[in-house]
Amino acid sequence: MAEMEVKESSKKGPGVKKSKKHSTRVDLTPMVDLGFLLITFFIFTTTVQQPTSMNLNMPKDTKDPNLDMKVKESGSLTLLLGKGNVIYYYEGNDPSKMQTTTYKDVRKIILDKKKSTPAADLFLIIKPDKDASYKNAVDILDEMDINDIGKYAMVDPTPDEYGKIQQTEVAAGIK
Amino acid sequence: MARAKIKRGSTSVDMTPMCDVAFLLLTFFILAAQFKPQDALNVTPPSSVSNKLAPQKNFLNVTIDKNNKVFLDMDQKLKGPVLEELGKERNMTFSPQDVKDFENSPYVGVPLSQLTQFIKLTPEQIKKTDVPGIPVDSTNNELAAWISAAKTISMGDQLNFLIKGDDAAKYPTFKAVVDAFKQNDEYKYNLVTNAKQVPEGSELYKKNLTEQLEGKKPVVK
Repeated sequence: MAEMEVKESSKKGPGVKKSKKHSTRVDLTPMVDLGFLLITFFIFTTTVQQPTSMNLNMPKDTKDPNLDMKVKESGSLTLLLGKGNVIYYYEGNDPSKMQTTTYKDVRKIILDKKKSTPAADLFLIIKPDKDASYKNAVDILDEMDINDIGKYAMVDPTPDEYGKIQQTEVAAGIK
Repeated sequence: MARAKIKRGSTSVDMTPMCDVAFLLLTFFILAAQFKPQDALNVTPPSSVSNKLAPQKNFLNVTIDKNNKVFLDMDQKLKGPVLEELGKERNMTFSPQDVKDFENSPYVGVPLSQLTQFIKLTPEQIKKTDVPGIPVDSTNNELAAWISAAKTISMGDQLNFLIKGDDAAKYPTFKAVVDAFKQNDEYKYNLVTNAKQVPEGSELYKKNLTEQLEGKKPVVK
């Protein structure tokens, strides 16, 4: 459009004609910038969006108590996943010694347990309760990978344990 | 005067070819990018240190959204046979048109009783309606029926079972989904996650490092 206007008023002299020739060239630098910016954006987004997956092998359910895995009391650590991203844990077979921790600090507890028990005895029991989220379960399974724990099981908490968690939750005001 | 002017003009490089190249590359990348059709379901998966890519072939994908609704989608080539097999198992009849509609629908998100109406909806219509999800209760686990049908038609072929859950989904729903698989004697699943770095100094980190030093491939779990 700008060129057209110049054309109309260009009959005055030869100097104006020359400047008109130059003005037909548009500076493409910003357009190139934009192009490459978009390219970079697309390259980054496409590579990041590749989803990964984590393998999960569940054992077969058995009703036969003889086939149940026997776990040494001294080597077991039970992690109960509760509401509000809180973990309750206890060692051995005594739920009354239940303690509270978070997903950030659980690694230290697992590692401590791993150091203090012979590798053959170590067994982690993960018990996500009704209020735990899917993220909690995946996070804790991931933690098993990170800490290289070979033996663990995922089971439901006993009614006794669930009751205890709920008591703690009410007392701590976790909603 | 005229000469001086020409010299000045030559300082600016002609950007047209560069611009052409830039946009050619741009077009290429846009066209080459794989757009996910199941983006209709807004799910944020949790992250894990696993670096294994999710299988893209012969898969059965169960999605759990943040409201604990369960959706199913599968490899395009499985869709038709699975629906026919399911019809046989459940004594339901599906017309060829139904099968075609089913192949075009992005995912299954309703109980079997509503399936024939659901598959006629366009993705836009699905977005507007309140999709109830597939029932996974212990009394009426229709997901198990779908899995069973998929298993029957893929006799011998390895099926990849993907479970993609939202961060906010509750554990019981996940357990119900796993139970549906267990009913069909399937115990191996792939949980779809976002990749995250292995924390430095952790056991897995050390393990990967030593294996790399020994010249083995890093652990793929």
